[in-house]
Amino acid sequence: MRSRNLMWSAALAAVMATAGSAAMAETFRWAATTDPQTMDPHAVNAAPVLSFLNNVYEGLVRRGRDMSIEPSLATSWTPLEGENGWRFTLREGVTFHDGATFTAEDVLFSYQRASDEASDVRSWFAPVTDVRVVDEFTIDFVTNAPNPLFPDGIANFMILDSGWAEANDAALPARDAENYATRNTNGTGPFTVASRDPGVETRLVPHDGWWDTDRGNVTEAVLTPIGNAATGLAALLSGEIDFIEPVPLQDVAQVEGRDGFKVIEGEETRVIMFGFGHEHDTLLYSSDVTDANPFTDPRVRLAAAHAINIDAIDRVVMRGKIDAASQLVPAGISGYSEANADRPAYDPDRARELLAEAGYPDGFSFGLKCTNDRYINDEALCRAAASMFAAVGMNAELTTVPVRNYWEQLRADDFDMYLLGWSPGTFDAEHPIRFLLHSQDDEKKLGSWNFGNYSNARVDELLPQIQQELVPATRQSLIDEIVAITQEEVAYIPLYVQPLIWAMQDNIDVTQRADNFFMLRWVSVN
Amino acid sequence: MVYFILKRLLQSVFVMLAVALLAFSLFRFVGDPVSQMTGVETSVEDRERLREELGLNDPFIAQFARFTGDMLQGDFGFSYRTRQPVAEMIADRIPATLELGTVALIISLIVGIPAGVYTALRPRGFITQTILMTTLVGVSIPTFVIGIMLIFLFGVQLGWLPTFGRGGTVEIGGWTSSLFTIDGWRALILPALTLGVYQLTLTMRLVRAEMMEVLRSDYIRFATARGIPYRRLHFRHALANTMIPVITIIGLQFGGVIAFSIVTESVFQWPGMGLLFLESIRFVDIPVMGVYLVVIAFFFVLVNLLVDMLYIAIDPRLRVKEAA
Repeated sequence: MRSRNLMWSAALAAVMATAGSAAMAETFRWAATTDPQTMDPHAVNAAPVLSFLNNVYEGLVRRGRDMSIEPSLATSWTPLEGENGWRFTLREGVTFHDGATFTAEDVLFSYQRASDEASDVRSWFAPVTDVRVVDEFTIDFVTNAPNPLFPDGIANFMILDSGWAEANDAALPARDAENYATRNTNGTGPFTVASRDPGVETRLVPHDGWWDTDRGNVTEAVLTPIGNAATGLAALLSGEIDFIEPVPLQDVAQVEGRDGFKVIEGEETRVIMFGFGHEHDTLLYSSDVTDANPFTDPRVRLAAAHAINIDAIDRVVMRGKIDAASQLVPAGISGYSEANADRPAYDPDRARELLAEAGYPDGFSFGLKCTNDRYINDEALCRAAASMFAAVGMNAELTTVPVRNYWEQLRADDFDMYLLGWSPGTFDAEHPIRFLLHSQDDEKKLGSWNFGNYSNARVDELLPQIQQELVPATRQSLIDEIVAITQEEVAYIPLYVQPLIWAMQDNIDVTQRADNFFMLRWVSVN
Repeated sequence: MVYFILKRLLQSVFVMLAVALLAFSLFRFVGDPVSQMTGVETSVEDRERLREELGLNDPFIAQFARFTGDMLQGDFGFSYRTRQPVAEMIADRIPATLELGTVALIISLIVGIPAGVYTALRPRGFITQTILMTTLVGVSIPTFVIGIMLIFLFGVQLGWLPTFGRGGTVEIGGWTSSLFTIDGWRALILPALTLGVYQLTLTMRLVRAEMMEVLRSDYIRFATARGIPYRRLHFRHALANTMIPVITIIGLQFGGVIAFSIVTESVFQWPGMGLLFLESIRFVDIPVMGVYLVVIAFFFVLVNLLVDMLYIAIDPRLRVKEAA
């Protein structure tokens, strides 16, 4: 009886295994927490959209597995002679999914579309003054100043077919009502959208005429948005889904402990930090200091930095999955300052000394504002930090709000100290300097996420030099200077680099890229 | 009768207006739609322009007037998140929610009524106590926990049923149904059970309480004395009289089942209106939220109306009053 049972289960397992593998080789199913809002590559500058559409559309350049810039629709690019800007030599023989030929006209059209007022990606083209088609496969982008990083900055600038867009009345991104490009695509990329039911399911199939060969064996891919983390995990464990991201930290062990699944951990380029209201005259949430803002004193900010025990946060809140950060970009990003790789040590005694020196021997209370649904375990992080601040006499009154309310409150200066996570969109140290460290300047479009308005004349002076400097060593020394200044002044307290956790069936091979983009062409089903 | 229905439908317009006003006054606290619609690199200037274009700088009353005005003309607007027409988005999701709610209701009736009758007839039996205890547990556990537990038991451990989605759907005249395929039914069971548990317990306890009440009444004693067979006595006489209040409550609850399927839909990634509403809150998609709430208000009014009509159909005394 017993042996017969065994025999049956063995036979069943064999049947299921073959059935399983036969089905797998056809279709790859993955789940993401957010459905791409639109299929229009210029309508929304958001990670879910750009990540997804990079499988369908392509840019002049693209990012490789290690985030480096490599040729895509352009085969080479060189600085213009006699003026500022770049000349791109385009790839010949590329066709769009509908069969149309890719030429410089499509690039010009896409530039006009993406830099229009209706586009959400137009900030990429802020330095561009003119775009000229030289011949069918050569195009010049003229910029207002030397701009060595311009090719890096347009890695997500995706090219549409001009004829297709015009024929379908989609010459501009949809602003209020949708247009044809909101739900339909026609790119040059490795996959085409076969069907789309927004918020429910999107199917992709390979584009046979793709110019490149670096592609896995996926013959059909299905994206299902699953907003609820527990549901996503269940779908993975039950085998209905081959891949999910992100996996909640607390569930990693459960997935790793099961046969047939694997977890890939890496680091996102996002640095989590605390910011201060540098410009506020008084604290908003204090019960004892109401006539001054202690955080205007760098010694108080340094005290706050010394109060943080990042190892304890790693152990307790982040389950040992983080690396501490010393600056606003993680190590490995271009422009990372090796010279300033140390962060203030955990030293509560030093923190209390500094507070006493600054005139707050008994500490003070203040408000700490955090999100509760934006970053991994953000609320738990802030609770832990608040108790660490309290240990040195800084009594943080914690307020956590959902991200949909958060930015509005920060823009209205409604905080004493706040939580922020920043991922450099260009994967270069210049990006956070431009958005987080330069003084707020709406006209020049600088410092737009510098909520506390940290302001240092030298930083403001160095930013344009960094943007225009062509010699890497000189550029690095300029960045080093800024990092040194902002560390000394404790403009922010960088905490750690956010981990990136993907989970999948054992037979799936993927490449995890630090920008958390999911590239289907690097997926293989074994 | 026709006058009665027309009057109620007219009243429903006011209910919907009131709901819209209430909803609109709350939207200011949901968050800032523009932050959710644009990327981090979008300039302050571009953000302001978008805010102006969407009319978000207008006074609250003006925004509300525009919303209701457009809606009365049949223009439901466009989603901030996907830019699709809101009417189409909601219409696409209605079948999923209605099918889920209806099947949940049917499950709760099929199980709840017999269980209620049984527990009323044998109030002290072991099975009765077991049923009462388990349903009490079922009602005390939050819906999402029940859902997750069912998913992990039947979806992950046993692997019998799918963990999310609608499974195989068939489109019949614009209505996407999961009632016509095996896969669709497999996907429907767990969410319907999760959604129906509360309703089931309520139905059962209500039937039990009413039935016990009725069984104590004089006409039942008299009928017992007359020697009417128990089966006929219980089901023909007692149950029929039990059902009047039960139908009222269940009917009113059905509106709630549709409205509060949000949690169940989220746990099972069930692509209904509730899930859409949840996504819309995340993105501060005001047009979708507004229309959703008005549609739900309409459902409530409609269900109440149907209950009233059913009431008249069941209880002859009301018909007499109506005629008089």
